[in-house]
Amino acid sequence: MISPGDSGSDRMHGPRGTDITCQEALDRLFEFLDGELEPEWMERVRGHIAICRHCWPRFDVERVFLDHIAARGLAPTRSRRLERRVREILRNAAE
Amino acid sequence: MSQVDHDAKRDQFEREALVHLDDLYGLALRLTGGDETRSEDLVQTACLRAYQRWDQYELGTNCRAWLMTILRNAFINEFHMRDRRPTVVDYDEVGERSVFEQVGTEDPESRFFENLVDERITAAIEALPEDFRVPLVLSDLQGLSYPEIASALSLPVGTVKSRLFRARRRLQRELYDYAREVGIVS
Repeated sequence: MISPGDSGSDRMHGPRGTDITCQEALDRLFEFLDGELEPEWMERVRGHIAICRHCWPRFDVERVFLDHIAARGLAPTRSRRLERRVREILRNAAE
Repeated sequence: MSQVDHDAKRDQFEREALVHLDDLYGLALRLTGGDETRSEDLVQTACLRAYQRWDQYELGTNCRAWLMTILRNAFINEFHMRDRRPTVVDYDEVGERSVFEQVGTEDPESRFFENLVDERITAAIEALPEDFRVPLVLSDLQGLSYPEIASALSLPVGTVKSRLFRARRRLQRELYDYAREVGIVS
């Protein structure tokens, strides 16, 4: 869970206490959530959203979305015909 | 190998691997965009390869993950072998705005996702154009990194990143529009 920040933010300069702007943070949103940023940028974005009221809910919504896709996107699908065909292929392969 | 050994190997494979058939078929459908015939062929190819390499599988380890990797690789090989015409995707048509801009104040944690049935999510993934769908499945359902996807699909990392971004935005928009249509969000 991403924690809400508490400072007012200036989107051009970012909230006080962070060295990046909201735009710089939002431009890296998915890379941050995917853990694909360089360690230095991971920390800068993490530091920004920890105190930025404007950005943290935006990051949180995307995190919730990605969690749902990851947890539910692979829902299994039943195919009886397929099982029969696979068993047949295995029987032929073993002969 | 004697017939008795063959039978024992087959029995063991069926016991350990075939319980994951529905999961494999689900992954194949997501990768092929819901193409049942291609998906069945893909699962059969993956099962045959897994059976032939069964001696490389260490009993008790994650058989499902092992099978999914084999299926994913079979798909990637097929993906490169196929006569692929570029998918016509209107990139401009894909909005870049997050649904947060719509739901932010009413549903700040996007709980509407919880009220969607799994089938709606899988159907929306399958309906994505191939250029968007494949990177999304490899990343969000299979956990591959950007460089791994880039290498698998022979694409620059920057292209993977941008397709993934657009795939997610489009999927999100699709699910949000559906949620509005059926009254999950107003």
